Amino acid sequence: MDDSPARLLEQAGRIILGKERTLRLALTCLLARGHLLIEDLPGVGKTTLAHLLARLTGLQYQRIQFTSDLLPADILGVAVYDRNRSGFHFHPGPIFSQLVLADEINRATPKAQSALLEAMEERQVTAEGETRALPEPFFVIATQNPAHQIGTFPLPESQLDRFLMRIRLGYPDPASERRLLAGEDRRLLIEALDPATTPERLLQWQHEVERVHVSDAILDYCQALLARSRDSDRFHHGLSPRAGLGLLRSARAWALLEDRFQLLPEDVQAVLPAVAGHRLQRSGDTGVEEGETLVRELLESVPVD
Amino acid sequence: MSSRDRQPVSGGERLALTLLVGLAALPHLLHLEPVIGLFFGLLWGLALLARRRPSLAPGRLPLLLLTLTGAGMVLAWYPLLFGRAAGSALLTVMAGLKLLEIRRRRDLYVLVYMAFFILVTQFLFFQGIPILLHALAVTLGLTTLLLEASRAAPAPLPWTSLRRAALLLLQAAPLMLVMFLLFPRFSSPLWNLGPQQGAAVSGVSDRLWPGSIGRLALSRAVAFRVEFGGALPSPSRRYWRGRVLWHTDGVEWRPGADGPDPVKPAPAGGTAIAYRVTLEPFPGAWLYSLDLPLAAPDGARLTADLQLLRPGPVKRRTAYRLRSAPEPAPRQLTPGERRRGLQLPDNVTPRMRRLVAGWRRQESDPRRLVARALGHFRDQPFHYTLYPPLLGDNPVDRFLFETRRGFCGHFATAFALLMRLAQIPARIVVGYQGGEVNPLGDYLIVRQSDAHAWVEVWLEGSGWTRVDPTAAVAPQRIERPLNPDLIQASAGAPIDFVRQQPGPLGRWLHRIELGLDAIDTGWRRWVLGYSQQRQGELMRMLGLDFLRGFNLALGMVAAASLLVAALSLALLRHRSGDDALARGYRRYCDRLARIGLPRRPHEGPRDYARRVATARPDLAGRSGAIARLYIALRYGRGAGDRDGLRRFRRLVRAFRPRLRPPRT
Repeated sequence: MDDSPARLLEQAGRIILGKERTLRLALTCLLARGHLLIEDLPGVGKTTLAHLLARLTGLQYQRIQFTSDLLPADILGVAVYDRNRSGFHFHPGPIFSQLVLADEINRATPKAQSALLEAMEERQVTAEGETRALPEPFFVIATQNPAHQIGTFPLPESQLDRFLMRIRLGYPDPASERRLLAGEDRRLLIEALDPATTPERLLQWQHEVERVHVSDAILDYCQALLARSRDSDRFHHGLSPRAGLGLLRSARAWALLEDRFQLLPEDVQAVLPAVAGHRLQRSGDTGVEEGETLVRELLESVPVD
Repeated sequence: MSSRDRQPVSGGERLALTLLVGLAALPHLLHLEPVIGLFFGLLWGLALLARRRPSLAPGRLPLLLLTLTGAGMVLAWYPLLFGRAAGSALLTVMAGLKLLEIRRRRDLYVLVYMAFFILVTQFLFFQGIPILLHALAVTLGLTTLLLEASRAAPAPLPWTSLRRAALLLLQAAPLMLVMFLLFPRFSSPLWNLGPQQGAAVSGVSDRLWPGSIGRLALSRAVAFRVEFGGALPSPSRRYWRGRVLWHTDGVEWRPGADGPDPVKPAPAGGTAIAYRVTLEPFPGAWLYSLDLPLAAPDGARLTADLQLLRPGPVKRRTAYRLRSAPEPAPRQLTPGERRRGLQLPDNVTPRMRRLVAGWRRQESDPRRLVARALGHFRDQPFHYTLYPPLLGDNPVDRFLFETRRGFCGHFATAFALLMRLAQIPARIVVGYQGGEVNPLGDYLIVRQSDAHAWVEVWLEGSGWTRVDPTAAVAPQRIERPLNPDLIQASAGAPIDFVRQQPGPLGRWLHRIELGLDAIDTGWRRWVLGYSQQRQGELMRMLGLDFLRGFNLALGMVAAASLLVAALSLALLRHRSGDDALARGYRRYCDRLARIGLPRRPHEGPRDYARRVATARPDLAGRSGAIARLYIALRYGRGAGDRDGLRRFRRLVRAFRPRLRPPRT
């Protein structure tokens, strides 16, 4: 089997039509060992995307529907008294999966949200005084509905920072939509798919990301971007060092997806909107500003030398 | 020229530039020939219209015609192209023409620098505070525009560039101060090239008839300002001597033909007071001094009757230092003075002779007689008013016996004539009396409304003694300055000096006026008056006296050259700091920019090469090879590969894209 990240991408493109760039970003996020936040309206294919990734990579998949009455235990798991063994026994929650889809994350209370986010960050769960490691690879896709914000708990900035990327799916272009309407049910198509790779290969790829060469010129460029986001008075606050590390890792993964082992400024530019879009805010502006517009401003204000 | 210079100018930048250039040229339009101003206005309006409707922008030929017209107009109205006016007319017209061809960023830069230059040339014509404020405001605007134009994308907040520009100008302020203090001064003003614009043209004249001063009394224009070294003289001593009038024809008094001047001016006695007068321009050829001046300043001479005469009228604001003492010098009356001091007109009436004869019968001593005459004015119903009745062709007679209403001119002429009838030599002095102390600047403002005339009589043993008949009638006039605004309300009626106090609003306005006057005086004194002499004093104070005149100029040139050399060195080092690879790549980008494909500053090498390949498929191969090699050398592991670098430079050297793709 010829398995390469590029091939994985190509297969995914057959199911989700006309979203090549979004798929590439999602895969980049997976390869960069980050977590993904998808923000979009219902019905544009968020769940399909998660399903598809799980199927193609062979990752063990769980979905958690977030609701306002969701408790941390519903995510992490609970200790139950076992009469046979006369002791408490831990039943792991849905978080103990390789790919977790946290659907409509902003519907749950901050308590439940933070249980998920802590597990995401630490890649382990501590319950009943015992620390249990989460499986490897571990990849969370959270979805969020930007409209109908009544009765929701929007994620605060500090929590948003834990997601490596935020992407939007958007409506398909007319040609793709035509093919979508004419084609079979996506769900059935996914069921019929053969996995393109294995979780073990995926782990190898994740390690290969580290091998992508980063020249001094690129380090300078990344640093210039970060510095610009901090000293420019256009942004409320600059990008964090964590964001900087994430940016570099994502850019490397992006290069790997193109089978390239040297990092170009274009790679950084390609991932920057997804990596920085949810981390930048317009200074002095209270309204919700399109993060991508801000990222474009940032990009255009830093020259590539 | 870098690739940025070729980028187009946005609509907003064009509008801002047009407005700013118009603003910068505005003061010039006030003094240049109206035709030039109209032509500039036409060009400016066209530029403004063309911004909206590009079809209105003149093409090459109309632009050429306009340029020729502009050049022709400047040549026609300033034929020799000589002097500051011709230069500024040419500059203004050129700026207007350039407004019509703003295409690339480079044009914008050129125009901004032209506007800066226009601002500088304005100081050849105006040096007041308003023009300074105007120049500062426009400079701020131009700097903001420069900053905004050099940004990759427009700043999100409109005031970001403005704030930065203000900061830049503030940072430049210390440099400006150093340049101001140290730049070599010339002993005469650099731009003393013609008469000052807008100079005041009224003032006390050397003719006096009974009604002549009333006109001046209603003017609040400043005649001169005086700063005293020590304490101010008391109000009753503040007589500002101008001209001395000897000759009368019965209506008008004139200085009279200068008699042979056998006597040298005798120094006055008493405590001397030193002071400095800053005289506003006026058409007379004399200077004013506190009664009585001791010596003449440079450029003027002191006559025997203690006038300060100068060769020509005072065309520019002039400052001079003087010393005065109050008591006239006792000396002998010369026969010439006696003859001129007793000259009588033809229209002396019998009742005037009878009046004087009556006094002479009672008093034989001239001093008592003077007192008797003053008493006449005080005791008889004489009134001080600025709106006296008309007097006809024998004004003195009619004033003395019928109307009895008038002001200093009436009193002085009548009194002098009566003294001459009494065989006491008398002459009239015109000038100013009083002045207002500006507490904010600690100096005295003397206005046209302080214009005054008084009499000097010869008294044996005392010399020429000042007698002010106006003071006998209206002593308040001497103690307190007139307020013309209030006098105007009480036309015709005798002036009530007590009720003449202004209300609270008037007082407040007056305070503001005094404050502004103090600022203006400070500006003239400390900024415009910073002369070679003052610079020398400053240098001595700093222990740098060797830096004067030529040495200072030499030092400035040396320091400036050193600074420029150091800066260029630093910049050069910075440039050579980035390697041959970056230089080669820049050259590649510049060559592509020349054929209309500039690299955007934030564009990566691969994206750029792709864009080039799309726009010009004929270049794809060569450009792609260069880009690939550059990427490998700069971003790959091949960094420091000498062979690769050599290959890269060879490729770039050979890369000479043509403006148009070859026809296939």
